[in-house]
Amino acid sequence: MINTDCKTIDYFHELLVEPQNSLLEQSVEEGLIPIGYTCSYVPVPLLSADRLVPVRVRAPGIAGTEIADNYLSSVICSYTRSLLEFAIDGRYDLLKGWVFVASCDHLRRLWDNLTYLKKPSFNHMLDMPHKTGQAGEDWYIEEVRDLAEKLACHFAVDTGSAMIEKSVRGYNELLALLRSIGELRMKERPPISGSDFHRVIMAAQVSPTRLIVPHVRTLLDEIADGDGEKEPRARLMVAGGELDDPEYIRAIESQGGIVVADRFCTGSIPGLEAIPLSGDPLEDVARHVFRKTMCPRMMEDFDTRVEKIIETVKEYRVDGVIIQIVKFCDIWGVESGSLVSALRDAGIPVLKLEREYRLSGEGQLRTRVQAFLESMGR
Amino acid sequence: MDQIVFIKYSILILLRIARLGLKHGPIDMIREIRKYDWLWYLLKVIGLMRRMSRGRTGLYREAICLVIYTVVCSIGELLEGVFLHSDRLIMNEDMVPSEIARAMGLTTWTTEVLGILLPMLDPTAMEEYIDASENEGIPPDVCSLPKSTMGMALKGKLPDVLAIVASNLPCDGGMMSYELIEKALKAPTYRLDVPFNFYNERATRYFADDLKKMIAWLEERTPGRMDWDRFSEICERRNRMAELEMEIWDMIRTRPAPLAAEAVYLPHLWHFNITAGSEASLKLYERLAELCRKNISEKKGAVRNEKYRAVLWNPPFLHFLDIFNWVEQTYGVALIIDSMTYNSLPIIDTSTPDSMLRGMGNIIMQGPMARHTRGPAENYLDDIFRIYKQFDLDMIWVAGHVGCKNTAALNGVLREMCREAGIPLLILDYDLSDPRIVTHEGMITQVEHFMENVMKAEKLS
Repeated sequence: MINTDCKTIDYFHELLVEPQNSLLEQSVEEGLIPIGYTCSYVPVPLLSADRLVPVRVRAPGIAGTEIADNYLSSVICSYTRSLLEFAIDGRYDLLKGWVFVASCDHLRRLWDNLTYLKKPSFNHMLDMPHKTGQAGEDWYIEEVRDLAEKLACHFAVDTGSAMIEKSVRGYNELLALLRSIGELRMKERPPISGSDFHRVIMAAQVSPTRLIVPHVRTLLDEIADGDGEKEPRARLMVAGGELDDPEYIRAIESQGGIVVADRFCTGSIPGLEAIPLSGDPLEDVARHVFRKTMCPRMMEDFDTRVEKIIETVKEYRVDGVIIQIVKFCDIWGVESGSLVSALRDAGIPVLKLEREYRLSGEGQLRTRVQAFLESMGR
Repeated sequence: MDQIVFIKYSILILLRIARLGLKHGPIDMIREIRKYDWLWYLLKVIGLMRRMSRGRTGLYREAICLVIYTVVCSIGELLEGVFLHSDRLIMNEDMVPSEIARAMGLTTWTTEVLGILLPMLDPTAMEEYIDASENEGIPPDVCSLPKSTMGMALKGKLPDVLAIVASNLPCDGGMMSYELIEKALKAPTYRLDVPFNFYNERATRYFADDLKKMIAWLEERTPGRMDWDRFSEICERRNRMAELEMEIWDMIRTRPAPLAAEAVYLPHLWHFNITAGSEASLKLYERLAELCRKNISEKKGAVRNEKYRAVLWNPPFLHFLDIFNWVEQTYGVALIIDSMTYNSLPIIDTSTPDSMLRGMGNIIMQGPMARHTRGPAENYLDDIFRIYKQFDLDMIWVAGHVGCKNTAALNGVLREMCREAGIPLLILDYDLSDPRIVTHEGMITQVEHFMENVMKAEKLS
């Protein structure tokens, strides 16, 4: 189906095999300071300022969470348990610090347990409001300023305006490339599959911006004028909770459909718009992150989130939406109940899937997707 | 004498229920019962009082009967608000006290009140609502209290209201439930936002501003108008209640404790969360303090054979309150205090509207459960060890509600800290509103194992 050079995509795949990849290791050797983060409300360009490097924390290839279960219990989402398990195993020892967001109960308690068990020398919690109004935005901007000061103080790095502006410009360059690739998915026969696109997106989140940009540009050059080999069986959109494993999307696409759009926090919509620079770059970053991240943990914003999905469905000519939620996630668990009804009311076919963080039950997943495609007459 | 106390309060309860029927009129009452079939459960309240007072004697028994009677009076008033004053009726989440709305001349219905009350009266009461919620696509692992409430909203068992006030408390499940409730009730909803770090001036200011916006929002959508004098009176009475409660805490520190279990946690659970600052609630606390003082002066303990003193962490076992009575009489374990009662900042400065909003804001943010489920782990863990010391306790019980992921995620740390401090810890697995998850027998077995294996206790003869 895809015209892309396998080697380019294979490279992005390689970058995702371990929690810390070769590009990150290269940066560390160059004296850069990797900072782990777990949520899209983290102002990534701030973590790219000066010698800092942001790394979205994942637990690829996690086999079990036996030790983490003793602390977090087995009723916490498996993403957080997997991260704790990896942390206990020393798999994140390359990281010099962590930035969390008080985004959900599970991640907050991961932060607590990480503090108790590993005592990271820098383990910051961003106090994120639950409302999107002006008061909430002002609060968040203050929080980001406080984080900038603490990073500067702890790591002796420059988080001043000039440095942030430089970081934003570099980040915007990456966003523009990713956006261009993402928009190719609007084509009748998209030149890149949903799983490959997700590989690129995830690789960009776990690699230093400066080092990943050339590879993303190469990929764009390779596929910009191409088309997929054949018409997909169905055009799908995946929405829902944290999903950092492209293999999950590959399993969905194994039934002949193609994922042309996404609406989850480790995905691309919304979020690839450039950060506008209008004065105070730190404030610009904070405002951008606050407004573009559409997590259901924000109260009072359900209708906006539904509208965004419906808008994307139209824009990308999506035939059906798959909502995937990580088991035990209260936020997506409740949101998905209302979301399924709202999308069906809008005439959009919906499949809701509950999953574990690591890819499991692949056969069952394929069967559900196949039945979903058949139910849509595809 | 103990039997007379029980009969007296049974008669008073029946009279209060009859008054509700007469005031509303029998035909209207029948209509309400058809709409709100859960009203039948209220008739089981004497059964609850019988269970709670069984084996308990003297002033302890009187205190428990009195508390249950005041809860009946209070629910009677709430129902009168629903039946007779629906033109001023709003709904408030249980973590958003009703004091401000009452000062605005509004009548209130606490959304979760039935999810709290009905399982006490009948352990199986919430099962149909939990099932309704799950059938609508709400995952089974979400806390059963919001699931019960969502189920009631979906089945049309909650009153129609002009507006709803909710918040991001106490947990993600509770917060998210209002997404569904708002749509099911088709009522506009205002949501208060408690910051993660709330022990600071910045949070106090942010939250007081949010309360101001809530008042303006309510004034736009309801006939309620803020009456600061009335609010001041409510806050003054609330302050007085808090002073009396602190006096009671001081007294229950002594061995044996003059009051325990339902006489301590039930008045707080109801009167501080549902009707704080009302004259009836203040009167109850005055009487409870009197009973406590009397037992102290006569050197009488509430529990006949107090051998061990416990704290209960997390909400009480709503569908199995009897467990405290059982453990008192089986092992001599007195439940002295609990996390839902223990308030760290209860007094409101009533000098100006601003100071009152700041005080009320801090009560909401720093109230029991609210401060434990938001903010860092210290908020949860430090209180446990502070209380353990303050109330001279022998063991910690954690109500390990399977739906409370927030607190389950700290059990590992708590276990290690207790082990290090040499404090016996019982994490009792159960579900807050659904007895199908862990049966009462299963809960008793867990207590027996703990008492026999950890405490090396023998059953009282």
